[in-house]
Amino acid sequence: MADMGGKPRLPWVSWLIAAAVACIPLVITDRFLIKVLTFVGLNVLVAIGLALLFGYTGQVSMGHAAFVGIGAYTCAFLTVRIGTPWIVGFAAAGVIAAAGGLLLALPSLRLKGHYLAMATLGFGEIMSLIFVEAESVTGGVDGFARIPPPSVAGFEFKEPATLYWLVWAVAGVALLLAYNITRFRPGRAMLSLHGGEIGAVASGVDVVGTKIKAFVISAALAGLSGALYSGVVGFVSPSVFVLSSSVMYLAMAVIGGAGSLAGPVAATALFTLLEYLNALIPSMPAPIAENLGLYQTDIYGIAIILVVIFAPRGLTGLWQRRRSASSAKGGSLAERRQGSSTQADTPARPEGLEEGEGT
Amino acid sequence: MSELLQFLIAGVKNGAIYALVALGFTVVFASTGAINFAQGEFFMLGGVLGVFFLRLGLPLPAAVLAAVLATAIIGGAFEALAIRPLSAGDPLKIIIVTIGGSVALRQFALHIFGPNEMIIAPFSSGPPIRFAGAAVERQTLWIWGLTLVTVACLAIVYQKTMLGKAMQATSLSHDGARLMGIDTKKMVTVAFVLSAALGAVAGLAVTPLTQTAFDVGAGIGVKGFTAAILGGLGNPLATVCGGIVLGLLESLAAGYFDPLYKDAVALVVLLGVLFVRPSGLAGLMRRGRG
Repeated sequence: MADMGGKPRLPWVSWLIAAAVACIPLVITDRFLIKVLTFVGLNVLVAIGLALLFGYTGQVSMGHAAFVGIGAYTCAFLTVRIGTPWIVGFAAAGVIAAAGGLLLALPSLRLKGHYLAMATLGFGEIMSLIFVEAESVTGGVDGFARIPPPSVAGFEFKEPATLYWLVWAVAGVALLLAYNITRFRPGRAMLSLHGGEIGAVASGVDVVGTKIKAFVISAALAGLSGALYSGVVGFVSPSVFVLSSSVMYLAMAVIGGAGSLAGPVAATALFTLLEYLNALIPSMPAPIAENLGLYQTDIYGIAIILVVIFAPRGLTGLWQRRRSASSAKGGSLAERRQGSSTQADTPARPEGLEEGEGT
Repeated sequence: MSELLQFLIAGVKNGAIYALVALGFTVVFASTGAINFAQGEFFMLGGVLGVFFLRLGLPLPAAVLAAVLATAIIGGAFEALAIRPLSAGDPLKIIIVTIGGSVALRQFALHIFGPNEMIIAPFSSGPPIRFAGAAVERQTLWIWGLTLVTVACLAIVYQKTMLGKAMQATSLSHDGARLMGIDTKKMVTVAFVLSAALGAVAGLAVTPLTQTAFDVGAGIGVKGFTAAILGGLGNPLATVCGGIVLGLLESLAAGYFDPLYKDAVALVVLLGVLFVRPSGLAGLMRRGRG
């Protein structure tokens, strides 16, 4: 992590990866697979925010699914019921989610200790109640149906491939912004909090302000992801924005590892693809696919514990350890990489290479 | 008037449950400095295991005892397997592990006991007791009785036994306690065993009134934590008061406004306390004295 701010520009590998991600719809024609890869992009958008919040700032959120929900319902309500252009609903989704994040963060983050985690858990529980009860806005238990696809300046993102490009374009911009945040002063301030607040205060870091900034940014990104989600799926159900989704997002940040954007992004890709493994491997027997769905949440819970105990720095740490070992044998990560698609492992590379160059 | 009395009775009944869960939070917080996110799952396990042992054919007292013991053992095992391997003194890691643990416990309960709601018959049958125009369910009396006995036992353990004094010392300073020859790691285990037992008692006592299921833990966890924060996350007496106050606020909000608001009360109180008086009721009392 020492070279965090040292590189003046993105390594060329990341441009290569971006190009590869952009070309996928030209190569893959399977519509379902494209949709799954679009979901990866939606989750990556949330994971970027959580990487800043957890991985850099050391704050735990147990309620990010609620911000995704706020974004989804805001965008759907504004475009369908009020009739605003999609881009207005999209922007409002980010702003309202950020405002909700600010309201929650202001009291919880003024204090030492991890009160934010419990406040977000309570917030998530309340919001999932509101999503069901506020029928006039959200459609209640039945959900919000018939949401038109996103459209910008008359162009409708109807086809899976165009939706894919839209989602990944937003994710790419967010990743670029987050990368710039982490390289400069705000990112270092965030990272200094993960190490310990006393040291951060001693170095003149505005501890509370930094925490609140990270939380608001992550809430906004979750809201934007929700807005895109409502357009991609065309339907919003309250059963999506529940505690188990929040735990999944948190698991991605924890497993991805602290002090890195690439780790959480890679973890997100891995876990999202795991959920839709039957899309990647069409020949997979149905019982295995069913059990995978049944035990998905178990996997998150147990993976969180195992990672904290055995690999406290997550995928990022494993990757760096493997790089510094520099032997061709490789670790468990390398095996896992081979098992997943190119989509899953590519985002982890830029930082890994950077580390390699640095040492 | 009798309406108000009815709300107050309901409030103190729920408040007693929150108090027990809140005590579980404070016991673990005292020994680790971290919030135990699996606390609500101990509450869930108490009720669910109670149903399980009753269905095995155990008589009620034996089933209650078995459920509390089993939950306490699970609490201790969780600490030994997942918390102890962590390097001490990093609350963030402990919090993350307890989040993972709460997910795992909830999912295990789902796989073993199924997704359906379960219920226990009231501990003693009979019509509600009439009192000044209000009705008191017999189970409510059981809840109050069990809470009183549990809190009294906890107070005796803390004040009178060597174990309790060792735990108090550990909560003041791990290093200091270790210098006095106290096995602080064991004290952390004891804290998890105690907090699991506290949660289980609460979960058992309330199941005849509210039913239970694998997913009741998260909600009660937030309420119990709110009560603990309201009490200042330290002083046991203030914690119990925090529970009762939260129960009363909820029941008055639900009674006079809309039952929908009941669950929002805890979050409002939680954020309100954090914003206005982070030291909770205990801080208020201390200020009053000083």
